[in-house]
Amino acid sequence: MKFFLILIIAIVLMNPALADALTADEIVDRSNLAYYYAGDDGRASLKMTITDRRGRDRVREMTLLRKDIEDGGRQKFYVYFHKPTDVSRMVFMVWKKTSGDDDRWLYLPAIDLVKRIASSDKRSSFAGGVFTYEDVSGRRSTDDTHELAGDGMLNGRAVYLIKNVPVDGSDVDFSHYIAHIDKETFLPMRGEYFNKKGEHYRTIEVLETTVIDGIPTVLKAKAEDREKGLKTTVEFSNIKYNIGLEEGLFKERYLRKPPKEVRR
Amino acid sequence: MKILHSIVEKSLNHPKVVIIIYALITVIFLTQFPKITIDTDPENMLYNDEPARVAHREFKAEFALHDSIVVGVVDDSAPEGVFTPDTLNRIAAVTDEISQIDGVISYDLISPTTTDDIEGRGGTLTIEPLMKAGLSDKAEALAVRDRALSNPILKDMLVSGDGKAVAIAVPIEEKDQSYRISKEIEEIIERHRGTEEYHITGLPVAEDTFGVEMFKQMAMSAPLAGLFIFALMLFFFRRVSLIVSPMIVAMVSIIWTMGLLIGTGNTVHIMISMIPIFLMPIAVVDSIHILSEFFDEYRAGGTKKETFINVFDKLMTPMLYTSITSSVGFASLALTPIPPVRVFGLFVAFGIMTAWFLTLTLIPAVTMLMPERYLKGLVKAEHGPDKLAAIQRAIGHLSTKRSRMVLVATLLVLGFSAYGISHIVVNDNPVYWFSKDHKIRVADRVLNEHFGGTYMAYLVLNGDESGMVKTPELMAYIERLQRHLTTLDVVGKTTTIADVVKKIGYELKDREAGSGVIPESSAAIGQYLFLYEMSGDPEDLYHLVDPDYKKAAIWIHLKRGDNLDMRGVIESAEEFMAMNPPPGGMSSEWAGLTYINVVWQDHMVSGMLSALLGSFVVVLLIMTLLFRSILWGLVSMVPLVVTISFIYGLVGVVGKNYDMPIAVLSALTLGLSVDFAIHLVQRTRQLYRDSKDWGITIDALFEEPVRAIIRNAVVIAIGFTPLLFAPLMPYKTVGFFMAAIMAISGGVTLLVLPSIMVVLKGRLRP
Repeated sequence: MKFFLILIIAIVLMNPALADALTADEIVDRSNLAYYYAGDDGRASLKMTITDRRGRDRVREMTLLRKDIEDGGRQKFYVYFHKPTDVSRMVFMVWKKTSGDDDRWLYLPAIDLVKRIASSDKRSSFAGGVFTYEDVSGRRSTDDTHELAGDGMLNGRAVYLIKNVPVDGSDVDFSHYIAHIDKETFLPMRGEYFNKKGEHYRTIEVLETTVIDGIPTVLKAKAEDREKGLKTTVEFSNIKYNIGLEEGLFKERYLRKPPKEVRR
Repeated sequence: MKILHSIVEKSLNHPKVVIIIYALITVIFLTQFPKITIDTDPENMLYNDEPARVAHREFKAEFALHDSIVVGVVDDSAPEGVFTPDTLNRIAAVTDEISQIDGVISYDLISPTTTDDIEGRGGTLTIEPLMKAGLSDKAEALAVRDRALSNPILKDMLVSGDGKAVAIAVPIEEKDQSYRISKEIEEIIERHRGTEEYHITGLPVAEDTFGVEMFKQMAMSAPLAGLFIFALMLFFFRRVSLIVSPMIVAMVSIIWTMGLLIGTGNTVHIMISMIPIFLMPIAVVDSIHILSEFFDEYRAGGTKKETFINVFDKLMTPMLYTSITSSVGFASLALTPIPPVRVFGLFVAFGIMTAWFLTLTLIPAVTMLMPERYLKGLVKAEHGPDKLAAIQRAIGHLSTKRSRMVLVATLLVLGFSAYGISHIVVNDNPVYWFSKDHKIRVADRVLNEHFGGTYMAYLVLNGDESGMVKTPELMAYIERLQRHLTTLDVVGKTTTIADVVKKIGYELKDREAGSGVIPESSAAIGQYLFLYEMSGDPEDLYHLVDPDYKKAAIWIHLKRGDNLDMRGVIESAEEFMAMNPPPGGMSSEWAGLTYINVVWQDHMVSGMLSALLGSFVVVLLIMTLLFRSILWGLVSMVPLVVTISFIYGLVGVVGKNYDMPIAVLSALTLGLSVDFAIHLVQRTRQLYRDSKDWGITIDALFEEPVRAIIRNAVVIAIGFTPLLFAPLMPYKTVGFFMAAIMAISGGVTLLVLPSIMVVLKGRLRP
């Protein structure tokens, strides 16, 4: 059964003509799988450069661990901070759920305290940059209605243009966003967010990709907030998939005692 | 002088040509009017590159702070104030609509639905907006209040300390949009309003509203003053056609001056909008002298042309000198370092010289075009029963027969003035530019009663090492400085990064008693703040610190925007910092509009003093030159010295703040009082030269010359009473003092000068 599934996916992936017949919802689901659920688990080093409105940079470095409980469903994240030095050894852990609010914890080594953090606001900044939690861990496809707004070309590659309108607009800062999804890899290559006045104010774009273990992977991405004049770039390195992370690592007690996978 | 006389003659010979040329020039200047740009920004009282302004701009850029409109919501009808579900839901709806107005920086809006609160309960830390729309029961509404009140950052800023009111701060992109935006906010409020009241205020609204009203005033007050002057002249001269020409002189000189000002690209600031009002009396004055004299002579027989030539023989010199001295008085304002005051002074000076030249040319031209028969009739009417004569004789009696008494009284007045001047309070506040019952003043009062203060000043601590602000030492220092500042009566609240750190600590430890303190290590402070970045809006922090943590801003909320109060805060803070130097050799710097106002006010006081002294010296030189005698020069300065001293003495005694309009009045006083003195002295000397007898001279002096002075004083004084009804305070101030100056300087000139002449007659050789 699983073999057939893979076969079908492979055929679809290799045949753009067939892919074109996908509905907007299917494209979004495929894209979510490709971007947020690559492999069964993964590890990466992340360097985040936050550029403020006056052009000054500040850098954060962290290691990310991810474990998918089920594809397209629950996930667990472990974020271990290295830099800046005063936040070194801080840990941020998320249990992503398919309904209700996610669980989030933060460990503050300076006062040796683990604190649960409320997570109802998914649009808040991740680690102080322009990327939000949703940008990092994915936005539930059921939160928006999707509409195939056409095809386009982006950096010489064919993309789907998907217009996403939030079901409940009161929770988010945008009125809609346009996603440019690569027709071949299904990676979301660009997102254009429009505010409630209808102005394009925020952009996320993928700057560099590669293929690791056969998995199309983002190496570098940039988010820009034109209203606030902020930019953030993220660069991934040491990316590994399917390293056999135990679900047991994603527990409160490992916040104080980081596993060897995150130490450099 | 010869040239001037020939100009007069040419105008007498070719009246129509003169009028056509002037009409053309006037039309050209009128075409400049549509280009007018209004400027109401008090920041522009300073040059753009003024260090304080540069620092203020840099501060705003560094800390991403924008000018804000403040919408205060209060409800006195419910015991919970605005904290009922319905009212809060309405406020949420209003906020949502405000955030979509063009020019509003929606992401920085401070309101219950957009501003994050930090709360740690049941083991979970929550950083999210204080409330969400759609509250359904009372308990929820009261919980919103209680959460805000237990957040030292939000208390007294977003929610009033008494738990009754809410304030929404609406940051805007451009200050000059605030009037429009405030109107749109009013419309939104109108659609949602319940039992609660909304008050809109904030410096940008005050300024922009002022600009709009100023425009109305320019169109109302100046013409109304013109009308009053016209009516008064009608009372004195009894014939419309006769006084039309002085009015034309006034109008034309105003049009030329404003046309030139606008045409040369100058913006119309509050001060500058008063140019027409200042020019009006000065422009009319010379014409009154000319026409008074003209009709006295014309009555005695002769043609119009001969009479004019005679009149100008007598008046050419005093007219020229009065105009020059008045111009000097105003031009001296160019010595102040305040751009709008400079432009004001220079253009009024230009206007005065324009009016002088028009009087020389336009008055004869217009009069020449009137039929002789018609003028003869006028002369009779004008010469009717004269109640002024009795007053003139009384003054004459007093000043010549009781000279010493008058002089002693003058000395007493000077003593009183010195006392008053020593009590002058230098103070200004843009909100006081509105009258007390203006809705902006009401909003200002209501909001500052409820909240920490709507006037913002900022004290910035600058370090040179990144991360400095995160040290426990600096945090503790900021805390102490805050505590010190809050002891000041005018400071309703301070907000700093230390408040945020303490609040996070308190909520992290589940509100454990004693946990709301600065942590002991820099790492802990760094981690607290990083936690905030991980769950709140990181940009919130960068209104209080820079991203390198080299700088910290202390927000000081003042309940009043008076310069005096701000100065008190500065002095107190500087004193504290001198005794307790900030750790790590950090330097400090001030910013904020309330602070900027203090800077230009200081410039104004010192600038005005040098302007006044400078013009005093120049006018004295001109007087000495005119009378070819230092003694006469000094004597003719007496009325203006007495008047200026008395006016400012009065300001001090009454307790009126020495503000911008009051400061500028010194130039007007100088210009007008010296006018009267020049006329009186010049005529005295002419009369004495003719009669060689003091008795005859004095008697003749108290006929026509004194009559002209009294007329002038009364016309100008009463002509400006319409300004008293203007809704804008600077106009009222000018109206009141204009009347006072005229009355005082007229009285002083007529009483004191003859008294001095009588006493010193042995030494004063005309």
